[in-house]
Amino acid sequence: MAGLAWKWPRTRLPVGASALGVFVLCWLYVFPVYRLPDEKEIVQGVLLQQGKAWRRNQTAAALFRKLLEECCDPGQLFAMTKMNSPMGKNLWFDGEFLYSVTIDNATYSLFPQATPFQLPLKKCSVVGNGGILKKSGCGKQIDQADFVMRCNLPPLSREYSKDVGSKTQLVTANPSIIQKRFQNLLWSRKAFVDSVKVYNHSYIYMPAFSMKTGTGPSLRVYYTLADFGAKQAVLFANPNFLRDISKFWKSKGIHAKRLSTGLFLVSAALGLCEEVTIYGFWPFSVDLHGKFISHHYYDNVLPDSGFHAMPEEFLQLWFLHKSGVLRMQLEPCEDPPLIQPSA
Amino acid sequence: MGYTDPSSSRDLLGNRTLFFIFICAFAVVTLLQQILYGRNYLKRYFEFYEGPLEYNSTKCLELRQDIIEVKVLSMVKQTELFDRWKSLQMCKWEMNVTEANLFKSTLSRCCNAPSFLFTTQKNTPLGTKLKYEVDTSGIFHINQEIFKMFPKDMPYHRSQFKRCAVVGNGGILKNSRCGREIDSADFVFRCNLPPISDKYFMDVGVKTDVVTVNPSIITERFHKLEKWRKPFYDVLQVYENASVLLPAFYNTRNTDVSIRVKYVLDDFESQQAVYYFHPQYLINVSRYWLGQGVRAKRVSTGLILVTAALELCEEVHLFGFWAFPMNPSGIFITHHYYDNVKPRPGFHAMPSEIFNFLHMHSKGILRVHTGTCS
Repeated sequence: MAGLAWKWPRTRLPVGASALGVFVLCWLYVFPVYRLPDEKEIVQGVLLQQGKAWRRNQTAAALFRKLLEECCDPGQLFAMTKMNSPMGKNLWFDGEFLYSVTIDNATYSLFPQATPFQLPLKKCSVVGNGGILKKSGCGKQIDQADFVMRCNLPPLSREYSKDVGSKTQLVTANPSIIQKRFQNLLWSRKAFVDSVKVYNHSYIYMPAFSMKTGTGPSLRVYYTLADFGAKQAVLFANPNFLRDISKFWKSKGIHAKRLSTGLFLVSAALGLCEEVTIYGFWPFSVDLHGKFISHHYYDNVLPDSGFHAMPEEFLQLWFLHKSGVLRMQLEPCEDPPLIQPSA
Repeated sequence: MGYTDPSSSRDLLGNRTLFFIFICAFAVVTLLQQILYGRNYLKRYFEFYEGPLEYNSTKCLELRQDIIEVKVLSMVKQTELFDRWKSLQMCKWEMNVTEANLFKSTLSRCCNAPSFLFTTQKNTPLGTKLKYEVDTSGIFHINQEIFKMFPKDMPYHRSQFKRCAVVGNGGILKNSRCGREIDSADFVFRCNLPPISDKYFMDVGVKTDVVTVNPSIITERFHKLEKWRKPFYDVLQVYENASVLLPAFYNTRNTDVSIRVKYVLDDFESQQAVYYFHPQYLINVSRYWLGQGVRAKRVSTGLILVTAALELCEEVHLFGFWAFPMNPSGIFITHHYYDNVKPRPGFHAMPSEIFNFLHMHSKGILRVHTGTCS
């Protein structure tokens, strides 16, 4: 006891003060000041809005585009180009702490001269991979857009094309997918080339300069597609653009280690396109009618928790939907076909 | 005009005369040396040359004996060996079946190429812990995926081919016009991805049945196949349906790139087969040649191929195996027929390998071509 008394400081907070501190902490834990509405509340909120007809608000859209242009300039900085990344430029990775590479001759030659789109794009569809797309019958509507963007190499096989469409102009690919599904393209590459054949003449958008581990696989995607003379072309995401977009959303109050690819794409689309419609952005486990749905329209693999802040992102997008900047499709596009009772 | 030394014309034993006498003396001594020591060199000009001599003529027996009696390379001067080799060229070559069979049976006891040259599903069953040749601590576990890459069994059997050509890359092939003769062989081995483009095909031919690839080439020229792969594939396409042979299990660094070669060819749907040297075969071959006096860190790919060819073929012809800076006539040649990049010193013992080939040529086991072909 004497030893303990020696370790404790002579003066300490009175018992009452510590108890109060503990009490406050408990209070904040039970009733946090900043609290995200939970799933049910969000669904309720969405349902309230659902009855009203949605109208595009041109001024709000123009304003938001201007905001994005000021912060991030998607038209110029969306991808790595010869114009915005001259040789010898030091490139700071946006997903690493103080890590940069210098653009050398070999890397420079992989970039296109300028952003290869006809800007501004007219009608864009951004397709997330949410389970809500399943049996939505939105395929036709998605394909009607001039420019279709998809996330993370989603499957587009026949069984899904009714719900998610088949047209693709831009598809993102995460280096971690390349690593997991295609062994970093170090061994056989045929499987990869075959799997991206469904995207026809599209750009594969890869964050090559975000993480240290992503550079190798991303460049290898380029080499692979060039070797096979594939129709797809590779665009490398510009880390400066990604960083600016993250900052932009952080200032809007999204607390996440890293934004999801979907939000990056939606932001880019809002800057590049005149009309944006987003599909399959629904990170909850129940749909609007309270039915349970899978996480993705093709599988039910849940992501690692604490990496992305999907509900927060959804709320931001929902806010944009309400103010008429973009349209979010949550209902099925057409009534699901009645199952014919087998005779 | 000007001043001239009046005594210069009277300088009988002065500097200039002495200098002249000295030069003359030097010339005479050099000439005498040529005559005395270059006997063989001059002899050829005096002798009447009437076409290639018969194999069994006494002259040829003598000439062959001249080479066989050189037991080690350091016994004679290199020029002397060249001269003897050059003289032997006037004799026809014939295979000495007894000698050849004796040699082949030695090889079959030590190395046994027809069943151990490549790793096959038969000699390397699933789950084998394959020992590397040099990284003795390294062990490669044969899993299902690697196992599936191996051929069911050795694709070649003993003495399957009548006449084989093993083409080295020596500069001696340049302007040799041996292309047609090489192409006429039943089976052609080539080493280390040599160029056989239009520029060279007159000298080296185009037919290729097995081509070896050194993983170091893949590492240096093709970035370990981690980046572009088409350039490498295009290079291999030149050899048409040749099988690609790699020392995948020589050391641990080679394995990944070698296995990648198989993937590249599969991805591009090529018909070419990929085979890997069995490390035990490589160990046995180097051990055998060490016994024959080839002291090197590593025997060259050429020597391994010749050793294998001796078991797989009845008659083996060697082209482009000449690792000296000059050809037998003393004219300087490039190191390879396509470039003049010298190898790392002290890695291969090329002269000693060539010397062994010359011996075997003299014994009638194989034939070394060093001259031009008709």
